[in-house]
Amino acid sequence: MEQEKVEVLKGTLDMLILKVVAFGPIHGYAISQRIQQISRDFFQVPEGSLYPALHRLEDRGWLQAKWQETETGREAKFYTLTRAGRKRLSAEMVNWERLSEAVAMILSTAE
Amino acid sequence: MTGWLRRLFHKRLTEERLDAELRFHLEQRVGDYLASGLPTEEARRRANLRFGGLEQVKQACREARFEHYLHDFLHDIQYAFRSLYKARWFAFVAVLALALGIGATTVTFSVLYNVVVDPFPYRDFQRAVVIDLHDLATPPHDIARYHYTIPEFLAIRDQNRVFEDIIANYQLNVLYRDGKGTRRFLGGYVTTNGFSFLGVPPLLGRYFAPGDGKPGTPYLFMMNYRLWQTEFQGDPKILGKTFLLNGKTRTLIGIMPERFNGYGSSLWFPLDLSPGADGTVFPVKDPDVIWVCARLRKGVSLQAAATDVDVILHRLAQANPGGLYPQQFKIVARTLLDFVVGDFSGTLYVLLAAVSMLLLIACGNVANLLLARATVREREIGVRASLGANRGRLIRQLLVESLMLAAAACFAGCLLAYFGLKGLVAIIPRGPIPEETVIGLNPAVLLFALGIAALTTVVCGLAPALHAVRGNLPLRMFGSGKGAGSSFQHGKLRSGLVIAEVALSIVLLTSAGLMMRGFFTLTHVELGFDPARTLYARVARTADFFENAGKKALFFEQVRKRVQSLPGVLTAAISLDFPPLGGVGSEITVLGKPSSQHWESMVDLCSETYFQTLGLRLLSGRLLSEADIDSARRVAVVNQAFVRTYFGSEDPLGQKIKFNDFDQLPETPHDAYFEVVGVITDFKNRGLVQPVRPEAFLPHSITGLDDRMIMATTAVEPKSLLPSVQREVWAVDSNAAVTQSGSVKDFLGEAAYVQPRFGVITLSAFAGIGLALVLIGIFSVMAYSVALRTHEIGIRIALGAQHGNVLKMVLRQGLHLISLGILIGVLSSLGLTRFLAVQISGVSATDPLTFCAVVVVFLAVGLAACFLPARRAARLDPLVALHYE
Repeated sequence: MEQEKVEVLKGTLDMLILKVVAFGPIHGYAISQRIQQISRDFFQVPEGSLYPALHRLEDRGWLQAKWQETETGREAKFYTLTRAGRKRLSAEMVNWERLSEAVAMILSTAE
Repeated sequence: MTGWLRRLFHKRLTEERLDAELRFHLEQRVGDYLASGLPTEEARRRANLRFGGLEQVKQACREARFEHYLHDFLHDIQYAFRSLYKARWFAFVAVLALALGIGATTVTFSVLYNVVVDPFPYRDFQRAVVIDLHDLATPPHDIARYHYTIPEFLAIRDQNRVFEDIIANYQLNVLYRDGKGTRRFLGGYVTTNGFSFLGVPPLLGRYFAPGDGKPGTPYLFMMNYRLWQTEFQGDPKILGKTFLLNGKTRTLIGIMPERFNGYGSSLWFPLDLSPGADGTVFPVKDPDVIWVCARLRKGVSLQAAATDVDVILHRLAQANPGGLYPQQFKIVARTLLDFVVGDFSGTLYVLLAAVSMLLLIACGNVANLLLARATVREREIGVRASLGANRGRLIRQLLVESLMLAAAACFAGCLLAYFGLKGLVAIIPRGPIPEETVIGLNPAVLLFALGIAALTTVVCGLAPALHAVRGNLPLRMFGSGKGAGSSFQHGKLRSGLVIAEVALSIVLLTSAGLMMRGFFTLTHVELGFDPARTLYARVARTADFFENAGKKALFFEQVRKRVQSLPGVLTAAISLDFPPLGGVGSEITVLGKPSSQHWESMVDLCSETYFQTLGLRLLSGRLLSEADIDSARRVAVVNQAFVRTYFGSEDPLGQKIKFNDFDQLPETPHDAYFEVVGVITDFKNRGLVQPVRPEAFLPHSITGLDDRMIMATTAVEPKSLLPSVQREVWAVDSNAAVTQSGSVKDFLGEAAYVQPRFGVITLSAFAGIGLALVLIGIFSVMAYSVALRTHEIGIRIALGAQHGNVLKMVLRQGLHLISLGILIGVLSSLGLTRFLAVQISGVSATDPLTFCAVVVVFLAVGLAACFLPARRAARLDPLVALHYE
């Protein structure tokens, strides 16, 4: 059964990226794979959004990038979370929880 | 964030890394597809498909970064530079126009501020006032005097309720004798609060304190900076030394700093007003010699102060009627600033108004240029929008271009202001400006002018940009971006701007024209003698005003004869002063004609050679003779104005006149009637502008009053004779000093012409700049309009229009703009030039000749400015024109 693939909600991509990077140094391709896997193929992150987002987060100082070798011995750009990025992530998560709770509440009572 | 600078400067590395990162991603994807069993080609195809356009992703990544904005900005600057370079004439004219506006405004305002608003280094000088006594009997309420007697000063000081502090001062000649000889300086007695009043600390030593100058205390004095430098080479050791001044030994207690010119003297003596104190005894009964200056209490108006003093002086007048007081008088208070700067502030305000117009013209011009350019660029903007430039980006680019233009203009404006001010300071007349004034660039105004210029540029640069990016951009590409009036409605705005510029320029030109006419009239007043070949030398014999009449006459006759015999001298004469500026006045009584009115005449004391020397022609009777002088006869020669005013149609010869002011003075004939023996023609004796006043000429030998002038007509340049004159004076008496000397021409240049010349030069410069700017404006609008109508003109020519017709058509359009501007300009000038009336003399503020000349000149040059574009239109090749679109 072909599952419908959804583009990540506007505004949540940053949070998802930060969350995924929070687990440890990771390169762009792995980030997109990880988001897709964890969401059980629900989210598909288009490259056209992923990379500008990564560069933007790096520019803001939330991510740090380093060129390292992968396990296959190739050079790749690995991202890690900075202290500021960690703060940003928790702030966004709190926001998100509030938002989803509120949305859930409306949906459950409106019926 | 820290990386952005590095990334900015290592652009290639950044690009390579971005490429590597994205390629890595792509290869990983291909690898995954291969792993899932797809053939290589298919894996690659799918990966690419999924990734989307590599370039787009890269661009999005670049835009996500901070340096991208900088990058864009640099790119915009580059682009703006390129496009301005392509239109370098446009840019040059715009920058030049703005720079001229900025420079002229800043310079003029700086001068105005430093001269009129903040000239003095003195404490609270805005509240310093002087008091004038106006005679209400004379029609324009002339100032009868602004000097007072010591009792009057004491009354004002003790009875007023409006002043915080009040000082008195009067000037006197100080003869200083050292080993080398006698020199004369201008000194002044100043009340002991005089220096604390002005609040400037002394450079060395101390200034006067209460108690100085009291009877029985040692004699003290202070010195100004200039005298200290010129006479004593700035030697600080002279402080505390004693000097022989006017026969008294005085101790120097202080030296004032350079920027201090209080009381206009080189030396100051303390004036204590207690009875018998030094400097309070005068040979004259009612010596109104005290100059009074007071500081208003906070919140007291000039009017209130005048009323208060008015009451005090009227009380005094009641107790001592006649003499000092006109029958009806009132007191007017004016600020010290007004007293010192006077009319000159009028000139400066006129210049400020003129220069504001100049700034407006400059801004209008630039607005016009930018608007015209914007119209042409609509097409370009359309093309760029359709190629994918977004609106924000387009606006930003145009903004950057305007800002660059503004920055260049501001820079050039600063340069112009800096050098312009230096130039202006060089020609500015020092006479009417307080000596303490330091004219420097006023930063606030420079900023203001820069702001206005930048605002104009940005608004005019951006307005079309906003207009251009509104609506369907790509469509513009196909529509005729150059179709007249098709998309852009700036045509009317541009014409309006040109008309306004023309009108402003006409106002400037008429003002300058009137000033020039006035100046010409002023410099061509008939003097009766050639000022370039007339020498004057004022000679002082004593520090005092008075001397035995016989001794003084003898001395001056000796000097006159010696000067007369100098080679190069044609005639030499003795006088009290010389026309047209000098002279003293006296109240008169005509024997047998009692008058309740105040009759007054100017008085000159002269030798028999005076009339010949100054070219004064005899009308009836006789001139003064040698015998009159030798035996000090009481005879008088009067001018026509005297006869007209006091004798009417009666025969003036044989009439007897008494000069009442003589009765008040020592060493003058008291109660003496002088017989009129001759009448001479009128000549200007009260300045170059004022009507001629009654004047009487008496033998100089009748009184020992005042200094005398040696006048001489010369066959050579008068200045070359000055050392000989000095030698002859010393040969007769080594104690006499020549205090002022030169040619009358130079004297008039300093005293009468400098200020109007300054006005004429600067205003003409502004008017000239304004005219040039407007011509550029007319030219650019016409050239532009021809460019817009190329297509239409092409069709006309193709259909058989003659070159002459096309030429006429374009010229007519130009003429239309110009004449409308001229009409508005002339009407506004008629309304505005009356504010100039006080600045110009001898010319009506609506002088038709000036107005006509300005209109004719403007029409001529305006049409000339239209001619080039018109000729271009007439020479259009219809084929080329029709292909133009």
